[in-house]
Amino acid sequence: MEARILPQMSVMDKLKILADAAKYDVSCSSSGSSRRNDGTGIGNTVAAGLCHSFGADGRCISLLKILFTNECIYDCRYCINRKSNDVPRASFTPDEVCELTMEFYRRNYIEGLFLSSGILYNPDYTMELLCETVHKLRTVHRFQGYIHVKAIPGADPRLIQQTGYLADRMSVNLEMATADGLREMAPNKHRKNILRPMRQIQNGITENKNELTLYRHAPHFCEAGQSTQMVVGALPESDFQIMSVAENLYDKFALKRVYYSAFVNVNEDRELPALSGGPPLLREHRLYQADWLLRFYDFKVDELLTVDRPNFNMAIDPKADWAVRHLEVFPVEINRADYRLLLRVPGIGVKSARRIVAARRFGSLTFEDLKKIGVVLKRALYFITCGGRMMYPTKIEEEYIVRSLTYQNQMGKGERLPFLMDGTTYRQISLFDEEMGVV
Amino acid sequence: MEEKYIICEDSLEGIFTAIYDAYALREGHGHIHIQVGEEDNYRLFAAYVHSQPDAVKTDKVLRTVKDRLGEEVYGSLCRAAASYDREKGDAVYHTVVDGITAGSGRRTMENLRNPYVRKTFELARRTANEVHHELEFIRFQELEQGVLYSKIGPENNVMPFVMPHFSDRLSIENFMIHDEKRGIFGVHPAKEEWYLVSDAEGFNPQELRWSRKERQYQELFIFFHKIIAIKERYNSRLQQQMLPLRFQDYMVEFGSNE
Ligand code: SF4
Repeated sequence: MEARILPQMSVMDKLKILADAAKYDVSCSSSGSSRRNDGTGIGNTVAAGLCHSFGADGRCISLLKILFTNECIYDCRYCINRKSNDVPRASFTPDEVCELTMEFYRRNYIEGLFLSSGILYNPDYTMELLCETVHKLRTVHRFQGYIHVKAIPGADPRLIQQTGYLADRMSVNLEMATADGLREMAPNKHRKNILRPMRQIQNGITENKNELTLYRHAPHFCEAGQSTQMVVGALPESDFQIMSVAENLYDKFALKRVYYSAFVNVNEDRELPALSGGPPLLREHRLYQADWLLRFYDFKVDELLTVDRPNFNMAIDPKADWAVRHLEVFPVEINRADYRLLLRVPGIGVKSARRIVAARRFGSLTFEDLKKIGVVLKRALYFITCGGRMMYPTKIEEEYIVRSLTYQNQMGKGERLPFLMDGTTYRQISLFDEEMGVV
Repeated sequence: MEEKYIICEDSLEGIFTAIYDAYALREGHGHIHIQVGEEDNYRLFAAYVHSQPDAVKTDKVLRTVKDRLGEEVYGSLCRAAASYDREKGDAVYHTVVDGITAGSGRRTMENLRNPYVRKTFELARRTANEVHHELEFIRFQELEQGVLYSKIGPENNVMPFVMPHFSDRLSIENFMIHDEKRGIFGVHPAKEEWYLVSDAEGFNPQELRWSRKERQYQELFIFFHKIIAIKERYNSRLQQQMLPLRFQDYMVEFGSNE
């Protein structure tokens, strides 16, 4: 393939092309690693991650998110960089990436680097470039901040292994929830080529953990784990299909995060949805809320959705939706209910559930106390008692409660409306329930 | 008994000394209050006592607190003491009383039914949130000699909490954080311990000279910040909610240096 790289392209020109091309990758998380600086270079990592800015779309900017190159031999239908598109192409050199990362990091613009890439010549060649770049960053520049690198499907496992020892996180995008969907959207990609590196990284992480228990100073392998991403709304897949895949990835591949990316029809492909109302952001938001419920609230996908009810209710968040369909469980007594049950109450998040359990040891709690603790009483009041009494007499009836809760939504109170417009992790604090609107 | 107000300096040392003095009175605690700063509105029928910051007393209180209440509670007290809120002295004092005298011990911060504990908890959380934001949003600019300089204007006194983070992260850099609201500086010489400078005399930010490359990197970042947003998802309300204007005022990508 002829590489159309203009020799005198400035770093600014390249950044324009290669950051622009990277922006559809949702992950910008810098969490999961905790490392102190060793005094030989700059950088450390913070377990909860840090967001350094927010873009005009309200998404967090944590990492210098760029493609190494937007040259690509593949032709994925959803991708602006696909081979058949006539778009300006550019490639960084490893030194340029290192310098940008170091200088941005010193100024506290970023938490580190997220390096992805189109496929230049072939997967091995590309993976080698990525590996070389982060190797330079770690060894020559002694950079100790966060690094997230894409594993290129089909690349030599040894290259992926080497990269894993330099990166905090690696990811391979699943792209589509089903293998058929992938075939349709990305004719050059194959499900098993995606799952293979995913499995390899998972095994690498497990082995590394064993190594680290034996030798405390053994090098870390993807300390922050791995993540993946699925595009939502390009094909007629149900939420149930998507969430079941996500659950599987968490259970069987031990992923740290699954990201959902509302489809944007960048190529104006006439066979794909035109989405005149913009990308399906509300749906994406529901998926993130459900994802949160899986990871922190001990829910299973088949509690939230079924084959007969395969899609989330757009009017009400998945947790409230579960609660109103299980009124037999409620009301729960705040001063006695166990932690797990408290978590199921709309209006009570992980933090408030913990605070309730801690504070009730000092004496029994009143509604006033709950308010101070951070419980959203407007939502919780249908589902709880304090000392045997409800906050005030109210109908316990599905339709009535749904109406009250959605009324609050319309008033922009219950569910914070602005957050409907985004699905990514707004802040990276792992238990920021309020922001996820799952409380 | 007559209400008694102990007036103390607005600092951790000031508040801890006042707590020592309050205990030294041996009059119980219900009627005693600690007020930081000036005695702005005198109350009738109240006695006022002045307390001067004292290193030995501070140290005694600090040890007792750490010992009996643990590091975590101690951390909350420090963050509450760094608050902008004038009622912090009283809140911190009565929280210590709850912990030591009423015996809540290491669990003190969980006793949210006590209004003083709740106040301390809220102030500490507010400071912690702001500290977290500053770790994210502080922007350094490179001066001629390669020194990194940052100007901030936080609501609470976050300096003691942000300096350790950057001293570790930027261990080999010379850097300086300038809290323009309080006129204090956190200074970190490369590979050394950081320290606080509160005497700003002779310092004029107008005289700072940026390095040759500073402009270039600012432009690159401003540019990056712009193109990384997805047009179809623009949402300036969300952006502002996540990144309040009072921080934006100090950030290059929002035009603070134009
Ligand atoms: S592999 Fe597919 S998604 Fe990736 S850059 Fe190439 S065309 Fe785009």
